Amino acid sequence: MSYLEIKELQKRYTSSGPLIVNDMNLLINKGEFIVFLGPSGCGKTTTIRMISGLEEVTGGDIMIEGQSILDKKPKDRGVSMIFQSYAIWPHMTVFDNIAYPLKLQKVSKEETKKRVEAAAAATDIQGLLKRYPAQMSGGQRQRVAVSRAIVVEPKIFLMDEPLSNLDAKLRVSMRTELKNIHNKLGATSIFVTHDQAEAMSLADRIVIMYKGKIEQIGTPMEVYQDSATRFVAEFIGTPPTNFFMTTIERDGGGLRAMNEFFRYQVPKSLVSALTPYLGQKVEMGVRPEFISISPEMARTEGYLADVEIHFVEPQGSHSILILDMGGNEIKIHTSRYMDIQAGTRISINVKEERVMFFDCDTGVRVK
Amino acid sequence: MSKAPGNIVSAEVTPRKSSFKKYIPFLLLAPVFVYYAVFWLWPVLSGVKEVFTDLNGNFTLTGNFELMAESDLFGEAVFNTAAFAVVSVILQYLIALVLAVLLSRKFKGAKLMMFVAMIPMAITPTATAILWKTGLVRDGWINTILMNLNLIESPLVFMDASGFNAVLMIIMIDTWTVTPSVMIILVAGLQGMQRELKEAAYTFGANKWQIFKDITLPILKPSITTSIIMRLIAAIQVWAIAVMVMGYSKVPFLVERVAFYVDVVPGVDTSSKLAFTYSFLTTVVVLLATVLYLRVSRQGDKRGGEKT
Amino acid sequence: MMDRLSIVQKTVVSIFLAGMMLLVVVPLLFFSTVAFSNATEMSEFPKNLFPSFNVTVLVEAADDGQYEIFYDSGEGYESIITTGKADKLEKHFRRQYSVTVSGEQLLEDFARTQTEGPQEFTYKKDVFYNFKQFFNIVPNAASALKNSIIVSLLTILISLSIGSLAGYAMARFSFKGKSQFNVAMLIVRMFPVVGISIPMAVMLIKMGLYDTLLGLALLYSVPNIALTAWITNSIFIGINQELEEASMVFGAGRFQTFMRVTLPLAFPALAASSMYSFLTAWNDTISALILTNENQTLALVVYKAIGTTSSGIQYAAAGSIVLILPALVFTFIIRKYIGQMWGGVEL
Repeated sequence: MSYLEIKELQKRYTSSGPLIVNDMNLLINKGEFIVFLGPSGCGKTTTIRMISGLEEVTGGDIMIEGQSILDKKPKDRGVSMIFQSYAIWPHMTVFDNIAYPLKLQKVSKEETKKRVEAAAAATDIQGLLKRYPAQMSGGQRQRVAVSRAIVVEPKIFLMDEPLSNLDAKLRVSMRTELKNIHNKLGATSIFVTHDQAEAMSLADRIVIMYKGKIEQIGTPMEVYQDSATRFVAEFIGTPPTNFFMTTIERDGGGLRAMNEFFRYQVPKSLVSALTPYLGQKVEMGVRPEFISISPEMARTEGYLADVEIHFVEPQGSHSILILDMGGNEIKIHTSRYMDIQAGTRISINVKEERVMFFDCDTGVRVK
Repeated sequence: MSKAPGNIVSAEVTPRKSSFKKYIPFLLLAPVFVYYAVFWLWPVLSGVKEVFTDLNGNFTLTGNFELMAESDLFGEAVFNTAAFAVVSVILQYLIALVLAVLLSRKFKGAKLMMFVAMIPMAITPTATAILWKTGLVRDGWINTILMNLNLIESPLVFMDASGFNAVLMIIMIDTWTVTPSVMIILVAGLQGMQRELKEAAYTFGANKWQIFKDITLPILKPSITTSIIMRLIAAIQVWAIAVMVMGYSKVPFLVERVAFYVDVVPGVDTSSKLAFTYSFLTTVVVLLATVLYLRVSRQGDKRGGEKT
Repeated sequence: MMDRLSIVQKTVVSIFLAGMMLLVVVPLLFFSTVAFSNATEMSEFPKNLFPSFNVTVLVEAADDGQYEIFYDSGEGYESIITTGKADKLEKHFRRQYSVTVSGEQLLEDFARTQTEGPQEFTYKKDVFYNFKQFFNIVPNAASALKNSIIVSLLTILISLSIGSLAGYAMARFSFKGKSQFNVAMLIVRMFPVVGISIPMAVMLIKMGLYDTLLGLALLYSVPNIALTAWITNSIFIGINQELEEASMVFGAGRFQTFMRVTLPLAFPALAASSMYSFLTAWNDTISALILTNENQTLALVVYKAIGTTSSGIQYAAAGSIVLILPALVFTFIIRKYIGQMWGGVEL
């Protein structure tokens, strides 16, 4: 039995309004660190709020350990939430902030003290217990929010973009700390973010959402290398996947993907999947690091086209080469040819196993 | 030190310009200073001087105060003012708080109701007095309503009320007029409060009452303090409504006495002294009340601000 | 989900709010009825909730070409007056019923009763009768109205110009003595005006400004400047300083920046706060009482009008409606800004 199950979940705010969350299905196991990833408006925050009990559910069910929680008040659901703005009460000390949930549960004073100090130790803020929020930095306040969520010993942690308000350096260090706490406590967590790098580094599995629907659920590697939809391919990865619009045509015994710039021979493994698309357009996608370069006129395996480099962005450990293909900007990630100059003409090749094709109407990957 | 090639361009700091900049704030504040020196400080000082000189121009510490204490209706004025200030502020604050909380919720017509609730505040005090006077007279509309609802057999004579009953009437009229302005300050405070602060408490199991008591009220404290002080100061200076509805000397208050000595008996020498002395007393009471209240409310106040 | 109310809670809330609405609206309705009542209606009991715009009388032909007029005050038609003279009829109808129809016209209308027997006649009330009467009876009402406008505008001018400068200084600069200055402004703002009205009067007399509109405006501005400074301080703090810095980087001086960038941005909130100044001046009675003699303001004039007698109060009511209108309009306009204005201020 899964720990948390979301079944055909739906949410709309007005009876004639749009579906904010559209038929969502998800199974989460105990101990997993799940990340809801997507752009603003995709429904990820709404979903987490429905799990916490802050929003009503329009359709479907949410179950924890097999039992529906829809009728239960938030505190009876066994979930604990960390808000984007931290929601630390400004008129209470850090101690009182963390202790308040226990006070509501009528926990004894001695017990409260023990648990608060333990929760504070978990985020290393034991020294701040007597301070007021206004006297602390953003990072410290965030830890108070985390401690407060820990102290109720919930079944599931819900985190709504908890790192978004921190500066870049702090974000990265807090990221690791949050994962550490999750591991140490053996917790089950759902983490919401719009930052794909954050999702990739934290998640056991990522749930990518767009316009209320789940685009893909998978481990970071899965969503990266085996993207299920065009959206996922474009959203995950920096720089993002390069896309080419092509038409599928016969090429001897196989197929080729054609446009005005190149004729690419479709890998044998994909021929049967692409045959139904004969004569139609499909979108071809390749990630920057799976495009290799050779001197112009060289014809190696996976050859695509001859192009001229427009810009070079050195990043230190690698360089990003930017080319233009008929108004379409293509980015290549190379660690070998970092000194290459703009204006050089080269030939580019794509790694056969890493080429992706997407249906133009549905965005679904063709496999 | 090697010479730099070519022209050396030194950045010239004009001391004149930067020190002028320093004076800008004082320049901007100068008009205020001047204005208040002339139109506030001077009158205050000369008023104080008046209180401590007797009719012959000699210094007297308590002479005018004795005069005031022995004057007509002094005791009633003091008692009425105190009773009015305490009762009206408490009553208005409670009603305003409830209204502010109810009307801050989002529901259809909330904005319209808020505007309706604000109307009494917009009506000139004089008009309010007329409004209530026409209600309170024997054949007025209050009696009309009461009789139509069969609550009374024959018309009540409100205008004959005296003593505490009269003060109660004034409290009622004042509350009608003034509660909206208290409500506004509370509404502004409520709207400024982050929603997530309440939501967090809700997720940890707080019910509506606990959220209000533990989260909303403490965070609202600055607004509450502001509104109570402002009301207290205004309440101690009540007079116009009492005079316009009931007439002079019917329901004495501190400032009502001032107006009495200015408007009704201005010719008599002692009138001016009494008016000054009553003004002085009122001012002192207001300042004392403010300081006292601030001290009491600041005791529990160690935190920084209300917005995180 | 947090905001959901149980049925019981919803009912209680609804009752409370409905009660509040009634408490506000009912007295106002009665008041407006009074403002439109004619003399006869004023002496009726019970009073009407809604104003009526017609008057109905029963006319019966009497001897010698006279007519007997009957009026129903709620307990059946009673005989009021019997006359055949045109001017007497006209006066009666005008004074008692606020009906301004000529006497000859009335006689003409009533002629029918001689042949057709007693009949009811309904005439339209002159809606503005009470307002006209107010300006007739109360001395200087029209000029008092003018005075009120002038004084209020002057007050805005003085308060805004001096106060906003101070507010800007406090918002944008840090300087020695700033916190003391704040406290001082606080004291002035809280200070009971009554404490200085009398010495002010004395001083204004010495300055030759007693009983002048300028003198009044100066007095009103005393607490208003502090209030304006307080409000403009929080307004200017709310305006991002970087907008001004950008302007200055492009070469505009501080004053130009203030005029071209800061002022337009602050304008709505400034307008709202200056209307507070307007209203204090417009509504005040006690300062006007002390400081003026001949040049009274409308508020003062209406105040004096009540004092006279209980009868004729409908004219004062009508006059005070003129007094109320600007305030009502103002409240309606600024209700959006209230949150902005009071949100950031603290004692």
